[in-house]
Amino acid sequence: MLGEPSLELIGYVILAIILLYIILPMAWLFITAFAPTGGPYLRIPESVTLENFAIVFGLAKLKYGAAAMSLHMDKWIVNSLIIAIVTTVVTVILVSMAGYALSRLKFRGKSLLMTALLVLGMMPTTAKLLPLYKLCISFGFINNLIGVAIVIASGLLPTQIWIMKGFFDYIPRDLEEQAWIFGCSKLETLFKVVLPCAGPGITVVAFLSFLAGWGNFTVPLILIRTETLYPISLGIATTFIHHPGEVGLAVPYGPLCALSLIYVIPSMCLYFISRKYLMAIKLGRLEV
Amino acid sequence: MAFGKKFEYRLEEILLAFFLIPALLLFIIFQIVPTLWAIYFSFTDIALYGKKLFEYDVVGFKNFEELLTDDIFWKSFTVTFEYCFYSLIIRFSIGLVASLYITSKLFKGKPIITAILMLPQALPGTVIPYAWLSMLDTRYGTLNQILTFLEMQPQSWVYKRAMESVIMVNCWSGYVLAMLVISSAIKSIPQEYYEVCEIYGASRWLKFTKVTLPLIKWPLVLSTILIFKEDIDDFTYVFMLTDGGPYYRTELLSLYAYHKAFTYYELGVGCAVGLVIMILVFVLTLAQIKVSRIM
Repeated sequence: MLGEPSLELIGYVILAIILLYIILPMAWLFITAFAPTGGPYLRIPESVTLENFAIVFGLAKLKYGAAAMSLHMDKWIVNSLIIAIVTTVVTVILVSMAGYALSRLKFRGKSLLMTALLVLGMMPTTAKLLPLYKLCISFGFINNLIGVAIVIASGLLPTQIWIMKGFFDYIPRDLEEQAWIFGCSKLETLFKVVLPCAGPGITVVAFLSFLAGWGNFTVPLILIRTETLYPISLGIATTFIHHPGEVGLAVPYGPLCALSLIYVIPSMCLYFISRKYLMAIKLGRLEV
Repeated sequence: MAFGKKFEYRLEEILLAFFLIPALLLFIIFQIVPTLWAIYFSFTDIALYGKKLFEYDVVGFKNFEELLTDDIFWKSFTVTFEYCFYSLIIRFSIGLVASLYITSKLFKGKPIITAILMLPQALPGTVIPYAWLSMLDTRYGTLNQILTFLEMQPQSWVYKRAMESVIMVNCWSGYVLAMLVISSAIKSIPQEYYEVCEIYGASRWLKFTKVTLPLIKWPLVLSTILIFKEDIDDFTYVFMLTDGGPYYRTELLSLYAYHKAFTYYELGVGCAVGLVIMILVFVLTLAQIKVSRIM
């Protein structure tokens, strides 16, 4: 009889340990972003300040030691936004065209093509990085935000096409045929009937591709060489590459935490909205 | 008339096929071509400096022979598997415990805690090592403060315990995958099974081992494959935390490829390592698709 009640207690203890493990880094990030003096220590600050955010947007200057290091945090935010938005636009346009075609066309080897897309799309990026670098030199994509976005978008296409095709499959063919009977041209039908019906699918694809463009690290890492063109991900990372290993107090913790917080919030929102589809992509089970 | 209709249908098909072209073209140029190129490069002596970037020769399996005799490659091979093995165990067990928590009716405050449990994966990849580097700092870091508070020896995390630190950070965001896969599998078990158990007065342990476990067998296998596949080409966390150091003790295969190519400028060797990773991931992907079709 000892087993049953104590199970609950053990459960709570394990849960508390797991929660502590998860919350501590995030708590540090959040507290340091609003603290007047930041450091790698977790300490409740005496006062709350928005100065770190002002530094991020270039409205105030760094006061302490690391001021010698030039930071372009406001530019990094803009760059990340450009990459994310271009990725979204490119992905949405290409994916809705391809998804519609794959949903309506019937041809031999279609399922083979879809599976091949999926398997090839899951190949690791790290193995492709080196030739991609050489390829991008010839395309002039070095230090080019649009180029970075296009490369990121190309990696997203397979899984997103699968998702989009699933949404188009739900739109009955009869609907289009009725529109034709009422005298709509093919293109008009596409824009006025099919695309509005696929709205939710387009939203999902847009969210997912924005998330991917916003958070991507490896593609800008090899393609972007100028500090003013860094996206946030690369910016945060290089601050540590300048000071590898035990960083101590050399890094401007406060502004970086504020920047991280700005960086985290959009992806967190989008993650919780589109979680179901992210899981489907991870699992490789994309029939929506 | 019939011919005309058929012709129109074919025309529409051709137009639709044109819709496919831009996406396929972009995918082929920036994903397939680099992949094939990487395979080709791994058989050449291409390098990232001077003439060798443009005038390179096919050297057959020389790069692979070089890898086989390179101690650092074998070191990084064992390091990768060590990393994958411990990450797998920790990610899997935390994920399993968390999913049992999410699906059980026993505990309180579930919606909030479920959201918190899912948070780590919602963060962008570069913020996580950044937040953890401060946790792991030797003099001021929170982790060492806790250890001092518990009257234990503070550790030099990123140096002396580099592997443990890297695994700890990887598992911090990684367990969510296992948690979501397993919890959705548990949720899909019909409630009647447990009701029958109640009637026969089965204990919790018996319910778990005789009902839950057999029914979530394949999701468990799937999450193992997925975790392994994710870890085998891990790059960002280790790159930011230790950059493979100290003395190659955390040099994962992907980092080894990156260093070979961009630090030592031996692009060909780097691509050969990339090919090794690619083959491993390809096999795991096939296994994953197979398992997820069984489910």
